[in-house]
Amino acid sequence: MTAERICKLLRLPGLTDYGEALVLQRRLAQARASGQLTDDLLILLEHPRVITLGRGARTANVRTPTELLASLGVQLHEVERGGDVTYHGPGQLVGYPIIDLGRHKKDLHWYLRRLEEVLVEALKSFRITSGRVPGYTGVWVEDRKIASIGVHVSRWVTSHGFALNVSTDLADFDLIIPCGIEAVKMTSVQRETGRTQSIVEAAEAVARSFAEVFDLALEPAELASIR
Amino acid sequence: MATRVVMSKLSPTMEEGRVLHWLKKEGDPVESGDVLLEVETDKANMEIEAMGSGILRNILVPEDATVPTGTLLGVIASEDEDISAILAEAEAHAAPSEEAAESQKAAGAEAVPAPQPTSPLQTASPAAAAQEQAEPVEEPAAQAPDARRVKASPLARRMAQERGIELRLVGGSGPGGRIIKRDIEAAATGGAPAFKAVSTELGPEPPYERVELSQLRKAIARNLAQSLGPVPHFFLTTEIDMGRVSELRSELNESLEETGLKIGINEILVKIAAQALLEHPSVNVAFAEDHIRRFTRVDIGIAVAIDDGLITPVLRDAAAKGLRQISTESRELIARARAKKLAPEEYQGATFTISNLGMYDIDEFTAVINPPAATILAVGAIREKPVVVNGAIEIRSRMRVTLSCDHRAVDGAMGAEFLATLRRMLENPLHLVL
Repeated sequence: MTAERICKLLRLPGLTDYGEALVLQRRLAQARASGQLTDDLLILLEHPRVITLGRGARTANVRTPTELLASLGVQLHEVERGGDVTYHGPGQLVGYPIIDLGRHKKDLHWYLRRLEEVLVEALKSFRITSGRVPGYTGVWVEDRKIASIGVHVSRWVTSHGFALNVSTDLADFDLIIPCGIEAVKMTSVQRETGRTQSIVEAAEAVARSFAEVFDLALEPAELASIR
Repeated sequence: MATRVVMSKLSPTMEEGRVLHWLKKEGDPVESGDVLLEVETDKANMEIEAMGSGILRNILVPEDATVPTGTLLGVIASEDEDISAILAEAEAHAAPSEEAAESQKAAGAEAVPAPQPTSPLQTASPAAAAQEQAEPVEEPAAQAPDARRVKASPLARRMAQERGIELRLVGGSGPGGRIIKRDIEAAATGGAPAFKAVSTELGPEPPYERVELSQLRKAIARNLAQSLGPVPHFFLTTEIDMGRVSELRSELNESLEETGLKIGINEILVKIAAQALLEHPSVNVAFAEDHIRRFTRVDIGIAVAIDDGLITPVLRDAAAKGLRQISTESRELIARARAKKLAPEEYQGATFTISNLGMYDIDEFTAVINPPAATILAVGAIREKPVVVNGAIEIRSRMRVTLSCDHRAVDGAMGAEFLATLRRMLENPLHLVL
């Protein structure tokens, strides 16, 4: 079946500063909501080491004092998405879909479940069986969390999205209590497969399953062409 | 005109939301389209925009509070507009839902807070029995319009009369839900647990009990969804002898002649289907991705053809209602459906639907399930036809019905057992008198 609707795929190289990505997303989401951008968009990127605090965040879930984080070269950011505390860093594939749910389904839970499905499908290409844990949004391999999800929606246009640990240094999660769930164990594609995994391959798998799940045709784009 | 700001339902599966952050303060001027606040459900948050202009007069739910969908969060109105009625209405609704939530917790069941009018029929299901123990016994207004039948102590009765308090509207905290002195005192000071206000206004979402999916059930759901659309349908057809029901209907209508009320076959079907569903709670369900909702109330949707399509007004708590009430209510709903005057909560959230094309001379057909419900009954015309009875051919009135089932939640045997009960009840219609 050929999807009629197009989704621009924006793959940012290297490490993108969290604050910069935030500004970019906000601008693109506004453009999507106003109709200036006519296509849905998926941004895939990696961040340098950063801890983000969602609106539901309790600072108690950051274990490490702010000064210590700074000296470790870890940034701290407060953001408008749902969810509690999240860690981003090199080796983690971050996806920010800027899509108009008005053209898919105006249903926030549906959207969260579809994002989980995107990641579950993508992980199959690494022969990893993953799934959902009811009540705990995210993607899990047994009791280990492999991907986090947190989204923001304004006028039914989405921003923020998901973070899939590919070759993330899992020790960095010890800086926080992920999602405010005390006993959560984090894992990565690399840990589950026992082999070094490239983020490029993961990005391809995720983009493919994203297009499939949301029934969109991917079209690679450059940042310059969207700005 | 005042504009209500409510906790919107941002997903059919959203039952409550958290107020994350108010972007406007009380007294701020607001333009339609301005972002008022952000709410959170699960790991998603959403900006809520003003639907009208004016002053944000009241913020009724503070940041960080979690409230059920539909809760009034604030009021936008012009500076001097009287909004006391809206505020009073919000208060009246706030109290009972908390109370219901607490008693649900006491029952140890994860269920949406909704009232459970008790009825002798409901004790047939264990879930209903559990509910009954957990909640104070109260007689639904529908069955007890006469205040004399409300359980109350003589002192409470006299106090209520002296203070002009309607006993029906007071929650009883005495044994068996009996209204006692302190309930009247509480009611007089405005602190009454006014759950009557809710039980007379059954919400669009029927109460249910959460059934976790077994590994087998998950596999069935996954596999079948892949084979036929998002809702994997299957169909069960049976033929029912309608002779005795038709006779009973004529007799009923003769006896009702003076009242001007007439009972139709559809209304009998609604009543009997509701009773059959009580016996088969596993068919009165909805598939909800990671669990099954087994509704503890039977809300029957009646498919009605209208000018430009069809709509299914919902007869709430049909099992607890008598034929006469079902008849009056369904006629009223259908009339308003045809006039396109139904509010969304009047045509959403049926736990079971009946679609009858008998008047179009259709013998049998299959109906498409209207999600999230898991079943729909397609009813054909009643026909005189030759049937073999005890080895001889007889002319009988027969009607074919086809049940469409969502195979993720309902299996063939469950559907078949339900149909067998439906047939047994229609062929032995004394059930109607119950």
